[in-house]
Amino acid sequence: MKRSVPFEIFRYAAIFAAMAVTLVPILWMVSMAFKPIGEWSATGADLTWWPKQPTLANFEFVFGHSTNDLIVALDHTALKPILSSLLSAVFGTAIAMSAGTAAAYGLSRFGSGQNLPLALIQLRLFPPMAVMIPVMIMWAFLNLNDTWWGLALIYGIVTLPFAFWLMKTFFDDMPREIEEAALVEGCSRLRVFTRITLPMMRAPLASAALFVFILNWSDYLIALLLTTREWVTIPVYMASLSSSMTGQLYGAKAALGLIAAVPPVIMGIAIQRHLVRGLTFGALKQ
Amino acid sequence: MSAIHLKNLTKSFGDFAALKTMDLEIADGEFMALLGPSGCGKSTTMNMIAGMEEPTSGKILFGERDMAGVPMGRRGVGFVFQNYAIFTHMSVRQNLAYGPRMRGAAKAEIDRRVCAIAEMLQLTPLLDRKADRLSVNILQRVAIGRSAIMEPAIFLLDEPLSNVDAAFRAVMRTELKQLQRQFRQTMVYVTHDQLEAMTMADRIAVMDHGVLQQVGTPLEVYNNPANVFVARFIGAPGMNLLRGRPAESDRGLVVDLGPLGVTPPLPDGLASTVRAMRGDVLYGFRPEQVTLAERGLSMRVSFVERIGARTIVHLGEGEGAVKAVFENDVGLSVGQTAVVAPPASSVRVFDATTGVSVKAG
Repeated sequence: MKRSVPFEIFRYAAIFAAMAVTLVPILWMVSMAFKPIGEWSATGADLTWWPKQPTLANFEFVFGHSTNDLIVALDHTALKPILSSLLSAVFGTAIAMSAGTAAAYGLSRFGSGQNLPLALIQLRLFPPMAVMIPVMIMWAFLNLNDTWWGLALIYGIVTLPFAFWLMKTFFDDMPREIEEAALVEGCSRLRVFTRITLPMMRAPLASAALFVFILNWSDYLIALLLTTREWVTIPVYMASLSSSMTGQLYGAKAALGLIAAVPPVIMGIAIQRHLVRGLTFGALKQ
Repeated sequence: MSAIHLKNLTKSFGDFAALKTMDLEIADGEFMALLGPSGCGKSTTMNMIAGMEEPTSGKILFGERDMAGVPMGRRGVGFVFQNYAIFTHMSVRQNLAYGPRMRGAAKAEIDRRVCAIAEMLQLTPLLDRKADRLSVNILQRVAIGRSAIMEPAIFLLDEPLSNVDAAFRAVMRTELKQLQRQFRQTMVYVTHDQLEAMTMADRIAVMDHGVLQQVGTPLEVYNNPANVFVARFIGAPGMNLLRGRPAESDRGLVVDLGPLGVTPPLPDGLASTVRAMRGDVLYGFRPEQVTLAERGLSMRVSFVERIGARTIVHLGEGEGAVKAVFENDVGLSVGQTAVVAPPASSVRVFDATTGVSVKAG
């Protein structure tokens, strides 16, 4: 297609603006993570774009209680919150994906009523706050408060509708004939699911899992309400990084934010090959 | 080897009757084509033979054996799907070996069968390729191989050539026919393409709206269609049908074709039957059998299609339109008047009310 020069200029300007809006905060965080206190502190005397004296002091602080540059010290290091986030998000994703995939497959292949999909998505219309207080009480009763497994369980429940809906769309788009072909050859129903359907659904499974993982990984509200001390997650821990003397510890927060960005990015790169195919699965008519 | 008997077979989906009573006998080793427009119930019939759908009523027998409640994996049928249904996460070899592996064949046996079928379908050089990077044509060959490898007594093919390109379709028509000659399986072939049905099938079952219209050899359904639907559906273009009123004359019973102003005689032996009917008839003849004549139907040429070897001339308009097919070119152009006539032996007569073919009584 041939476009006019002014249009091209406008197009690139728009792309540039959009990228600036998304990328500048991320770059700001990366830069801040390596700045010494003077360059990020609330006084803002030496506020700079790039660290003048790059330092690992912020990382030293969050992983080692204290650092020479800061007068405050931490009660807890970031290690336990990182572990908590990883365990709860990974197991929460596993719960949501296994239950969601099974439900989606059953409904896509054998379901008659269409009420379950709608009922499941309606769960998401509730404001989370409205249900979290009863959940807190239930979790207290079950002794699940302030545990990573309690958090994993509620993550699995909360993200189940997403896993279910994504997988249902993918299953609906997969030609049934492929399964019937295996059935005609004498394969059992269960074996068709494990040996034919699931392997062929690798790409959609991977992209749905990544989506669900990111939802769980970035949760703040649920973790804030259900964890108090032992198993706080990264976002909750990050919010606590402040002191009456120094105010918000932006450098430490940035360092932690940078670390928190690592798992989704690694997962994204690992499944990149599948991701595009997964997201366009419905478009590729077999 | 196995014959297939369908007895009073019906299938409804909710209120919709996809198949209204089907009786069909498919002989052992026969190549039967189920032919009809989409939604005629041919695929439903096929799925019930394969065991993917349970009949609402009626029976399916393979030989003497009632198939009610027998799961599809135990019926010993091969099935080829329109969209090939290849396991794309496996190699060609794994796809071909799937059936024998599922039935617990020994490794040597599997290898022997895979090699033989691959050789026959010219897939040997592709055996270790991943199936998701192959062309549509090759995929359908793999699908046929995967179903044929166990040499099933019954081979079901559901529009297998609809998605492949025209040149390959011609090749596959020959290959499928050879495959069947070699193994002598009973083949049921669902298609909406009459060319496929005519070239490959021993007999054709023509279906429409869930009702079996006619069963016969390709030439039978072409030459002696049982009713108006078959007459129009078979042949390209279909049979010409002109409405007329039987009238007595000194030449015996003739058909008054109304506005066309001609009164051709009825074919031999039909007069008494037509007299007994007391209603209008449809006067039918094949476009290919029309010739230019001195006397006959005098009609205005409305359109001429020249398609190389053949020329299709459209004559007249509306209810009384007629098509004529000539070999090579013909010196007619739009606006001219042409006089055409079908040979008396090629005329077929149908009851205008019921649409059923009128037979000599």
